[in-house]
Amino acid sequence: MKPKSDLPQGTLDLLILKLVALGPIHGYAIAQRLEQVSRGVVQVPQGSLYPALHRLENRSLLAADWKLTETGREAKFYRVTRKGQAQLETEAAGWQRLTQAVSLILKMSEGGAG
Amino acid sequence: MRWWHRLFHRRQHEEKLEKELRHHLDLHTSDLIGQGYSPGEAQRQAHLALGGPEQVKEMCRDVRGTRWLEELLQDLRIGVRMLRKNPGFTLVVAATLALGIGANTAIFGLVDALLLRPLPIVKAPGQLVLLVRGDGRGPALSYPDFRVLRERNEVLSDLALYTQAPISFGNNVRSEVVLGAMVSGNYFDVLGIKPSFGRAFLPEEDRTPGAHPVVVLSHSFWQSRFNSDPSLVGRTIVLNNQRFTVVGIAPAGFDGESPPMKVSLWIPVMMLATMRWEPGEARQDPLSNRQNENFGAIGRLKQGVSVTQAQAALETINRQLELSTPPPTGQRITPNDDRSLRLISPQGIMIGPIREMAVTSSRLAGATVLTVLLIACANVANLLMARALRRRKEVAVRLALGATRGRLIRQLLTESVLLALVGATAGLFLAYWINRLLMAFKPPFPPPFTFALDLSFDIRTFAFTFLLAIATGVIFGLVPALQASRPDVLPALKDESNAEGPRVRWLNLRNALVVTQVALSLALLISTGLFLRTLRYAQQIDLGFKPDQVLQVSFNLRLQGYNEAKGREFYRQIVERLESQPGVQTASVTNLLPLGFIWLSTPVVPEDREVPPNERVFAGSVSVGSQYFETIGTPLLRGRGFAVQDTIKSPQVAIVSEKLARRLWPEIKEPGEALGKRLRVGRSDLVSCEVIGVAKDSRNNIFNRIDREPEPTIYRPFAQNYSALASVIVRTDGDPRGLFSAVRREVAALDENLPPQNLQPLSETVSLASWSARTGATVLGVFGLLGLVLAAIGIYGVMSYSVSRRTREIGLRMALGAETRDVIRLILKQGMGLTLIGTIIGLMLALAVTRLLTSLLYGVTATDPATFAGVVLFVIGVAVLACYLPARRATKVDPMMALRCE
Repeated sequence: MKPKSDLPQGTLDLLILKLVALGPIHGYAIAQRLEQVSRGVVQVPQGSLYPALHRLENRSLLAADWKLTETGREAKFYRVTRKGQAQLETEAAGWQRLTQAVSLILKMSEGGAG
Repeated sequence: MRWWHRLFHRRQHEEKLEKELRHHLDLHTSDLIGQGYSPGEAQRQAHLALGGPEQVKEMCRDVRGTRWLEELLQDLRIGVRMLRKNPGFTLVVAATLALGIGANTAIFGLVDALLLRPLPIVKAPGQLVLLVRGDGRGPALSYPDFRVLRERNEVLSDLALYTQAPISFGNNVRSEVVLGAMVSGNYFDVLGIKPSFGRAFLPEEDRTPGAHPVVVLSHSFWQSRFNSDPSLVGRTIVLNNQRFTVVGIAPAGFDGESPPMKVSLWIPVMMLATMRWEPGEARQDPLSNRQNENFGAIGRLKQGVSVTQAQAALETINRQLELSTPPPTGQRITPNDDRSLRLISPQGIMIGPIREMAVTSSRLAGATVLTVLLIACANVANLLMARALRRRKEVAVRLALGATRGRLIRQLLTESVLLALVGATAGLFLAYWINRLLMAFKPPFPPPFTFALDLSFDIRTFAFTFLLAIATGVIFGLVPALQASRPDVLPALKDESNAEGPRVRWLNLRNALVVTQVALSLALLISTGLFLRTLRYAQQIDLGFKPDQVLQVSFNLRLQGYNEAKGREFYRQIVERLESQPGVQTASVTNLLPLGFIWLSTPVVPEDREVPPNERVFAGSVSVGSQYFETIGTPLLRGRGFAVQDTIKSPQVAIVSEKLARRLWPEIKEPGEALGKRLRVGRSDLVSCEVIGVAKDSRNNIFNRIDREPEPTIYRPFAQNYSALASVIVRTDGDPRGLFSAVRREVAALDENLPPQNLQPLSETVSLASWSARTGATVLGVFGLLGLVLAAIGIYGVMSYSVSRRTREIGLRMALGAETRDVIRLILKQGMGLTLIGTIIGLMLALAVTRLLTSLLYGVTATDPATFAGVVLFVIGVAVLACYLPARRATKVDPMMALRCE
């Protein structure tokens, strides 16, 4: 049973990396933050969040520590490794180029039609 | 975190995953409660949002990448459980496999020690190369050529020289002959060996001939003869009647560069001239004589130089040498036709003929044990198939529950590999034991040539066994696994064990396995039979002499520094002293023992006609004392034996063998007519002799040539053709062993520092000649019988199975009036059909393989009909027995029970 994501392939990893890069954070907080920041536009099924986190951890882009939360519970806090930071920068730059190119093309075709 | 880390901390990992998800759910639930949901509803919503914790967990596990290993562990756990559930089955299978794998491990251990192992103790053995000429593996160089090669080459970091010889070691208590080596000063440096006490040789000890009598002892020699006395370094010991200063002790485990021969001590090659071990002519300055190619050379490749490059470079120098000063051909002490130089890496035994023998026997033994393993595999496959039938329901349930066929096959294979590993572990112990037995068959070389073989298993042997076990597990497990996992779920679930389709197919497959087993064991046993016939022939062969009740003892007076006059006197006196011992009939002296290790041949020409050089007759040249023919037991056809009147001053005389008489004088009708004719013997200084006797042909050839026709032989009086290296033979009334102490006493009375060598019955030397046949017969025989037993178990198993399947049918037949006889005939017919097919295939197989044995057989052809027929009858007999037992059981079937049971 594969959970469906509305995000383009690979985008979820980039978003997670970006969020975690802001500071150590646990899984539930990531899910909340994704929803808040994107103002509900980005709908990440929570079911695909954890496999993604584990995959990133597996590839050593993320590391995790067990720490106490403000409420005094033990939780798994993710942080970005040096490798993850580098990956984030390359992917973010790639994404920027791609979206610019895509929006350029979209604008051009609008002008052509008008 | 590495994958194995994750694997081994699986439980911890699972707990953490659980905890993380629980944390998520709890937070979400309390958030939802905060938004106004009831606690129950909040929990439900949280679960829904996450998409089911179990699925999420499964996906997280997937990305972990250790799935296959986890499944493997799971399979292993199931496998272990299955094996423990059926201890009887496991025991039978493991024992069968232990036999098959153990035999292979044992032979691999032997091959490893004989052919593969690099030199022990030395530094970076991969860089070492031996210099050989042509296809040879023995000594290849003269000392002058070695010097040139060492100085001119730019591919070796250094080149060392060695030559081995017996050295007489006197320690005042008891003197003995040990194997020593004369080496260049850099020998230990080239090998990268640091003495554990004292030092290796110094550069100045490698310069002036005869100036530095120093010696390095092997660790085991130092341990056994000097009680590991560390103060020995700096003291002197007596070697060949000269004093040598011990300068160092080699590290333990290093016994020279030519295993399996153990070298006990090393002396600088500069001492060669004073060691007196070369025969007459070569003794004159062995260090400047280019004809004396008795030196081996071992070099170390420079970093980054390949063997091929080095060989090309050295061959260039060698060719220059050959062209600039062509060596006089024909008179070379070790003639070599192919004069090119080759480099080989020292691995295992490097002594040419022994290595060839080892390669031949390794191939033979390897093929044999592999066959045994195949038979064992067939047996186990059979058992597994029978069990698969019983497990059909279990398999069907799993398939029905959604297991894929691949996963199921993997699980079944894991089980069979596990079985193989259990078998292999037991096989290792078995192999250790087999190898200890095999060591009893090591060639009984007389001292000082101790044949030391380290058969302890090294990492290669363990790796071999492990890989073999896995391969074995897959081989015998694959077919049953494929069969068992066939997805015919429905009939199996319905418990229709009688469904026709699979039963027929399985039975056919099992029949094929039985046929294979019969064929393989038949081929093995026929090979065994041929060896046994060879052995029998070797025992019955007319040797032309009578080795029983004869004692032999050898001396090397050259080592002891005796001159010719002193040597003659010694041999005269020792023969005289031994003759007067009680229980002695006659005694004599000879330079060559029949079927011994040395054979000298010399050109002989008749004086009464011209013989072109290419038709010259070469004859074995034997110097013997008076009463030799009586002592050795070779009859004289005409004339007289040598006697006291044949002295160094009397006219030269000779006795020829029948064959030599006919070769020299083809015109004579009876060999006896050669009496009174004259001949010339020798290579350069020809000696003219009168023939005073003609002896019966005798197979007194070199040791491994008992099968050859007798060589033409010329006997000359010991008095007229002295040899410092000779043996005394004594014919006794009873067991020659009873005379050993008397011999030692009499020798010591003449010279207490002279070690008697090879003191043993002559029959021992003769038995060495049939060593290969004896070993071949024993090893093949044991494995052949093992194969047959396994095959018999296989036939028995299949027939029992068949009988149990046909219980109902048999009961019906008997109820309808079939006699016991009919039932037995019915079962036997089926079993015999299989056996006969197997026999025919086995016969064809045997015809193909026994041809490869031809070089090891004698007195029997590779297609000996008697052997073939005998073995076929034997195998059929065993098969009949294996079928008869289940058949008899079938007749005990109570018709009523049989009919009711289904």
